[in-house]
Amino acid sequence: MKKTPERIEMLAAEYVLGSLHGLARKRFERWMMESAKAREEVWFWEQKLGSLSADVPAVTPPSSVWDSIENRLWQKGSQKAAPTGKAQARANHRWFWPSWSAVATAAAVVMAFVLIQPSSEVPQTQLSGAIVQTDTSDPLWLVSETGQGNLLKLRSVAASAADTGKDYELWIVPENGQPLSLGVIPAGGLHEVILTDKTRQALSQSRTLAISLEPLGGSPTGEPTGPILHVAQLYEL
Amino acid sequence: MSHSDTNQDDLMRLLVAVSREDHDAFHQLYQSVSSKMFGMCLKLAGQRDLAEDALQEAFIQIWHRAREYHTDRGMPLGWMMSIARYRTLDMMRARKVRRSGSEEDLEHIEDGREGPLDESLRSAGEARLTGCLDELNDAQRDSILLSYYKGLTHDELAHVLNSPLGTVKSWVRRGLITLKRCLER
Repeated sequence: MKKTPERIEMLAAEYVLGSLHGLARKRFERWMMESAKAREEVWFWEQKLGSLSADVPAVTPPSSVWDSIENRLWQKGSQKAAPTGKAQARANHRWFWPSWSAVATAAAVVMAFVLIQPSSEVPQTQLSGAIVQTDTSDPLWLVSETGQGNLLKLRSVAASAADTGKDYELWIVPENGQPLSLGVIPAGGLHEVILTDKTRQALSQSRTLAISLEPLGGSPTGEPTGPILHVAQLYEL
Repeated sequence: MSHSDTNQDDLMRLLVAVSREDHDAFHQLYQSVSSKMFGMCLKLAGQRDLAEDALQEAFIQIWHRAREYHTDRGMPLGWMMSIARYRTLDMMRARKVRRSGSEEDLEHIEDGREGPLDESLRSAGEARLTGCLDELNDAQRDSILLSYYKGLTHDELAHVLNSPLGTVKSWVRRGLITLKRCLER
């Protein structure tokens, strides 16, 4: 279907209104990931139509709702919630954050764009997201987990080739320990990475990917050696 | 106005803290906005259990996505309300909540301007949208408001308004176009 400005305008309005549903709604969510214009239209309507909710009377929810939220967020993996576990995780992330702040000062700030989750009826979770850069309206790569969760697909949208003599390398930033390499990725086309049990587990826990700039053929040491260019958080589809 | 600005500042401060995984700030945020959000979910879904589940899902998302909030997306409260609204719509569709032409829906239509429109838009800040809604004809306005407040799909609208699907779709689309042109002026 052609993505004319008029079509995007209308679909965005119907998306926010809620009258767009089923496959058309999912397809438009995909457009939102790919098009800054579609996102802006949605934000416009969210703000305008949102004012209709201003006078809807407030109703206090039962306390069980908060209990469930707390339970789901913090009491699931008990060792993760323990303070020592968290401190350990932070220590293990230390390699990563100094590089990250250096990236930020180099004005290559990255933001992960959120894919709005469709119905959560599907039992298996699949991760999805986009690697984006604030000064580029299109995402650099779209990332999605496919199959039984053992395949990670990267579709290049607006990524440009690495500098001469350099390659992009994709990493999983785990909750604990060193980053795990998923190999060198091309700037163009569709690239698929097969996830092993280990990388798959690490990704499903941390949901964080990073891309570093490495010598041709990838990092010689097995750890990132060049600057971290992008960081992206994936979301459950 | 200044009161609402202060409130948004507070919410912004809480959201920033939540993005840094501050549990206490998250609880405060929940206490500040959950009633408002729950009222909206309940009105939309018309079912308490679904509204409770949607509210829960919305806050899980807010926890994970707080760092992605930015002011282009609107005020913090509006951003959170949108998340809650989408979760409610998704759940309604997933659980196939059918909004039949119940008396309540029809009452709103018969009430016309005294129905969902004026009741919800009484506050001064919304004057612009109210003005623009007045530019729509009754059928367009009712279609849009029923979709918004009740989460009706085109099919359900056609049923409730007892009109052909194509006609209802065109009311919604033409209404939205008119509304947009007016809001952009």
